[in-house]
Amino acid sequence: MGKVFDGLSRRDFLKLCGGVAATVGLADLFSVEKVAAALESAGKKPPVIWLEGQDCAGCTISLISLEDPTPASIILDKISIRYHETIMAASGSMAEKVREDTIKEGGYVLIVEGSIPSADDRYCLVGGKPFKEIVQETARNAAVIIGVGACSAFGGIPGGTPSKGLPVSKIIPGKTVINLSTCPVHMDHLAGTILYYLVTKKAPPLDKLNRPVMYFGTLVHDNCRRRAHFDEERFLTDWNDPKQQDWCLLQKGCKGPETYGDCPIRRWNNGINFCIDAGAPCQGCSEPGFYVKHSPLYAMGPATDRIMARKAAGLIPKKEIV
Amino acid sequence: MTKRITIDPMTRIEGHLKIEVEIENGKVKDAWSSGTMARGFEALLLGKDPRDASYVTSRFCGVCFSVHQLASARALDAAFGAQVPWGGTLLRNLVMGAEYIYDHMIHFYHLSALDYIDVMAVANYKGKDPALNKVKEKVVGLVKRGDVFPLVPRYEPDEFSVKDPDIVISAVKHYLDALQMQVKAKNMGVIFGGRAPHYQSIVVGGFTQLPDVNQLARFRSMLDEVAQFVTEVYIPDVVAFGTGPLLPLAKAGIGGGHPNYLSYGGFEMDEGGKKLLFKPGVIVGLNGGMAVKPFDQKKITESVRYSWYKKDTPKHPYAGEQIFDLKRSDAYSFVKAPRYDTVPMEVGPLARALVDQDPTILGLVKNQGVKPGAVARHAARAVETKRIVDAMYGWCDQLTTAMTKPGFKIHDTAHWNPPATGEGAGFYEAPRGALGHWIRIKDHKIAGYQAVVPSTWNASPRDERGKRGQYEESLIGVPVPDPQNPINVVRVIRSFDPCLACAIHLIDPRTNEIRKFIVE
Repeated sequence: MGKVFDGLSRRDFLKLCGGVAATVGLADLFSVEKVAAALESAGKKPPVIWLEGQDCAGCTISLISLEDPTPASIILDKISIRYHETIMAASGSMAEKVREDTIKEGGYVLIVEGSIPSADDRYCLVGGKPFKEIVQETARNAAVIIGVGACSAFGGIPGGTPSKGLPVSKIIPGKTVINLSTCPVHMDHLAGTILYYLVTKKAPPLDKLNRPVMYFGTLVHDNCRRRAHFDEERFLTDWNDPKQQDWCLLQKGCKGPETYGDCPIRRWNNGINFCIDAGAPCQGCSEPGFYVKHSPLYAMGPATDRIMARKAAGLIPKKEIV
Repeated sequence: MTKRITIDPMTRIEGHLKIEVEIENGKVKDAWSSGTMARGFEALLLGKDPRDASYVTSRFCGVCFSVHQLASARALDAAFGAQVPWGGTLLRNLVMGAEYIYDHMIHFYHLSALDYIDVMAVANYKGKDPALNKVKEKVVGLVKRGDVFPLVPRYEPDEFSVKDPDIVISAVKHYLDALQMQVKAKNMGVIFGGRAPHYQSIVVGGFTQLPDVNQLARFRSMLDEVAQFVTEVYIPDVVAFGTGPLLPLAKAGIGGGHPNYLSYGGFEMDEGGKKLLFKPGVIVGLNGGMAVKPFDQKKITESVRYSWYKKDTPKHPYAGEQIFDLKRSDAYSFVKAPRYDTVPMEVGPLARALVDQDPTILGLVKNQGVKPGAVARHAARAVETKRIVDAMYGWCDQLTTAMTKPGFKIHDTAHWNPPATGEGAGFYEAPRGALGHWIRIKDHKIAGYQAVVPSTWNASPRDERGKRGQYEESLIGVPVPDPQNPINVVRVIRSFDPCLACAIHLIDPRTNEIRKFIVE
């Protein structure tokens, strides 16, 4: 199969757009010809404005964590990063002018990382301006808006702090924000969603929390390789014990049965590993309750009690091999 | 005539930073460093299960993601009385080593290099190297399409900028290669860390993933590749720049600042941690032949004299109070001002190298006439990357041996449950410098938490005595011949590798009282 565009084959592209591509009909949607034609007809690289508010830059680091397409090809070949504080050459008013010019031009992809403080505008100023105003004015002429990471999708960790971080959707009512809500954003979700938009010029099908169904359509629990141990109630209590190594992490605080995401299939960082395979419980980072409602993270608590009650009531039946 | 200029946002750093400088006769006369974003983690952590802290504080920063997780886990280890088994320590070392390598590479190539090279000079490359011509094609292609973002706009190259097409084109190629290589370094950490940013497997008492030989073999093979890049590309580039076009900047010590250096030390080299890769210590002033004194955590205080908090006298991190006061017109930053024995300190790779009496860096200073400053910081970062790579091979060997012994352990499971009461401090060296986390536990819950992070030391505002923080001090005297083009200012600031989200995490050290906010 030939290259669709520099460094990215059709197979890779489909891989990015969903391990569950077939179930949502993506395989049909993305014929090589269609993808290539769409990108060629676009002529110039789509402009991107990436704003950082109450963030940790973790989602930015995710942007440069893929092997294929490579970070260099994303940054220089696929998209035109007009404004990104952590990457761009310009500083100060020179940087802000680029943002203003791009807004005038319109039709850009707007990506927001981090939440927006609601307790007081002064908890986040960029170039002397409240971040809230920056998001609102930049959203106005955006062709599509993507909230990356738990903070911009649902408020995340800053949402529970005194600065009261809000998700992007709350400050630009009436606009659709595509939420890629893991903490940090999954590198595949980010690249795949951008590519989906570039080819189709629309948002992928979304769930009721505005997350792409192709990534958030299944429970972590349903694809967990420790699932059989959950069904048989073999719970890991000692990380040193090789016998328990693959047992269910529920007693270590796993929120997988209440968390939507494709981590067990897709895994993280180019498929190398992910939380549960590293012996660490799923903390439900893609869900609106993260972090406050998910505490305690490493012990049985309200979330895991709820899960066990549902299991006892027969509401989480044993997984059947199809 | 005095002219005041403001650089806001200061880009190619982590976080939100504003730099203001006053320029007189073409030089910086005075400077102010302001952190302009705050979240406030304290209300989250107070009253929570203490084990949450290492996961949550990892989110201080997504660039130096897991060093907070580690410092926090170390504070918890101390408070819980947990003894991390040697296997757990080795795994912590390995994932943290991977983080250092990726982080230092990104800093040099992707955050800093654009300040030192005239990227557009690649168009003048006349050589025959096919790989370099491909780079030329790429950049010229971008120019022809009229879309050179994000490489422009930029401050104009000056007399220190490298314009030689042969050097520039290989630097641009290495910028692109390093983008690949930092992915590799992160992937390496993920083998044991679970994912990155924000590793998952560091918890109080040790580590969550039992390693197997295949993982170790994969780790080592990736380490080989990364090590080769560090030795054959990264270090030679830093040497070529430092001894070539940047030598005048290096010898003038541009961006030097206060000659005070602090390192907490880090990376256990043996079971029990008697031998460390980086030794702890303090240097105050360079006149005493860089005499290194022992580090005593009791001497740390934090000042809020010019920070947006309720006025207070300087306090030790265990005792300080943090109540926002956004009304204070005399304050100009969310960053507090930590001081050691009342003195402002520099932390980071240069401080580590000087405290550790690293022969390469001492040689540069004593024999080559390089003064501590912006260029020396880049050199120290590169030199220590190699030291860490070398140490990682040793840890791989030690882990291989440890794994084959019966009863191999990675976690102190006996101390997994939170104690009723306790307190502990966790010190470590983050890529950006000395990092400390402090925790107090009451009724099995978090009753107080505090962190003093590297960029708090470096980016701090003035203190009670009017002493500038290190960013501010390092800018004094920096040449700015054209106020429209303050390229030397950004060079100096970026040489510290600022990380502002870390610096302003706002965790309360004290009680579990509800935070009070004074807002207009």
